[in-house]
Amino acid sequence: MAGWAEGMAAWCEEKHFTAATRERWRRLAPPDGEALWRLVRELRLGENQLRDLWEWAEEVAARDSLPLRAVLDDALIREALQRRLSRNDRLKLVRQALRRRRFPHLVAVEDELHALVREARLPAEVHLQLPPDLEGDAIQVRIVARSPEQFVQTLQSLAEWARSDACQRVFALLEEAP
Amino acid sequence: MKQWSPTAVWVEEDVVSSPLAERVRRCFPQLPWHVVRQAREAECTDFAEGKRRLVLARRRGSFLQHCPAGTAGLVCCNYLVLQLGSNCPYDCTYCFLQEYLASAPALKLYANVAEALCEVERVLLSHPQRQFRIGTGELIDSLALDWLAGHTAELLPFFARHPNAVLELKTKSAEVGGVLEHRPLPNVVVSWSLNAASVIAADEPGTVSLEERLAAAERVQRAGFRVGFHFDPLIAFPGWEEEYDAVVRALEAAVDPRRVAWVSLGHLRLTPALRERIKLRGRASWVIWSELVPNPDGKHRAWRPLRVKMYRHMLARLRQWSEEVPLYICMEPVAVWEKTFGAAPTDRELAARILARSA
Repeated sequence: MAGWAEGMAAWCEEKHFTAATRERWRRLAPPDGEALWRLVRELRLGENQLRDLWEWAEEVAARDSLPLRAVLDDALIREALQRRLSRNDRLKLVRQALRRRRFPHLVAVEDELHALVREARLPAEVHLQLPPDLEGDAIQVRIVARSPEQFVQTLQSLAEWARSDACQRVFALLEEAP
Repeated sequence: MKQWSPTAVWVEEDVVSSPLAERVRRCFPQLPWHVVRQAREAECTDFAEGKRRLVLARRRGSFLQHCPAGTAGLVCCNYLVLQLGSNCPYDCTYCFLQEYLASAPALKLYANVAEALCEVERVLLSHPQRQFRIGTGELIDSLALDWLAGHTAELLPFFARHPNAVLELKTKSAEVGGVLEHRPLPNVVVSWSLNAASVIAADEPGTVSLEERLAAAERVQRAGFRVGFHFDPLIAFPGWEEEYDAVVRALEAAVDPRRVAWVSLGHLRLTPALRERIKLRGRASWVIWSELVPNPDGKHRAWRPLRVKMYRHMLARLRQWSEEVPLYICMEPVAVWEKTFGAAPTDRELAARILARSA
């Protein structure tokens, strides 16, 4: 048994992965299984976390006619794994990188929306939240105010932005994909 | 789809002498014939195998049910489904039956259709002022097995006597011979599911091509019946605009919009369990690869701005064809209706709007 396969088997045992997951892993082509093992080892993935990432990676691989290892060898994933961050933060980055490949059109629209919100340079007391997965046409705005003056000032900034082309564009993107 | 043939026939003992059983025996004299006490004795766990096991059974529960599209939060057209069979000879990649009938996939035809019609009659007679829309194409294609089941021979004379209901026969077949044996009825609509040619080729095995569906629609329309069309499921694959435009062009060329009862649009929707079933059966296509996200009703659909884009695109193309054909979208919340049509009807308004042209 190759080193990675032994590592994988031990990890599955330690984390009590289901027989179905183990079997599915064993059925992969060895280079794909090894690529998956690298991800599991680096991020110390539990079974549910593995299943989520694997599902997206597998769908991208099938859609783009690539081997699984090629999807997992994505530059953004490699970069995320090398960052000096906590395990949870690196997992979040890997997840984002895979989501970017799995949902390229959705993520491109989200990127544009986030850029429009960033460029608005709203006061730090204003938090704009977009609907998750854009499944909704409303943004949520949270304002923190510590005095009437600050409240008025924040509302004025927001009102100014609400009249801007950028704000129009935000709502247009939430309404219909470009 | 006369090439469809079961591997064997199971018949419940109390319908052995039914006209349906006799017809099936005449059609398949060579097939193994098992007489069983209950239909479940014919069940198997393999979905594809189930589709080849023909079971003739007596339905014991209610035949008439509300369409499951009437989920809270979604605009509903108050459609009723009449269950005359269960499972379908076709095996579409996206079909919800893969999940819904996973534990009972044998293809059943109910031999007690007369009881079904009695049940429908009771409902229709007890609400003579109401207009009903009833379809037989939820758990089984309405016409694909008509040559075997003979449903149109029983349904059309029945609905001729009941003008306060519109019967919809929904199909992906060109099996319209049974319909054409009857004089046209204003309250019978024969409808086809339409999709892009590449989706039909990849995801609707066993069904007839787009051209054959439209040729059948043309024949039915020429005979005097009204027809309907369902662009469902719309799938966001690369090049969807061009391919769906081509479908609308083919529709324009084949069908007179003045005799179209309705056209519906509905996006692909998959429960997580159905996604799993599709993948387990190794049937990956754009049904799986398109960008679907979880929705509040638990189903996965294309993300909302993309759905609205596709609906608006289709609506614009269909409105170029006809301003008058009633159009509606299926299983969508009020907000998506508002973005697509400018306003959302109530369930009752929608039902009335759809029926306005077909009653």
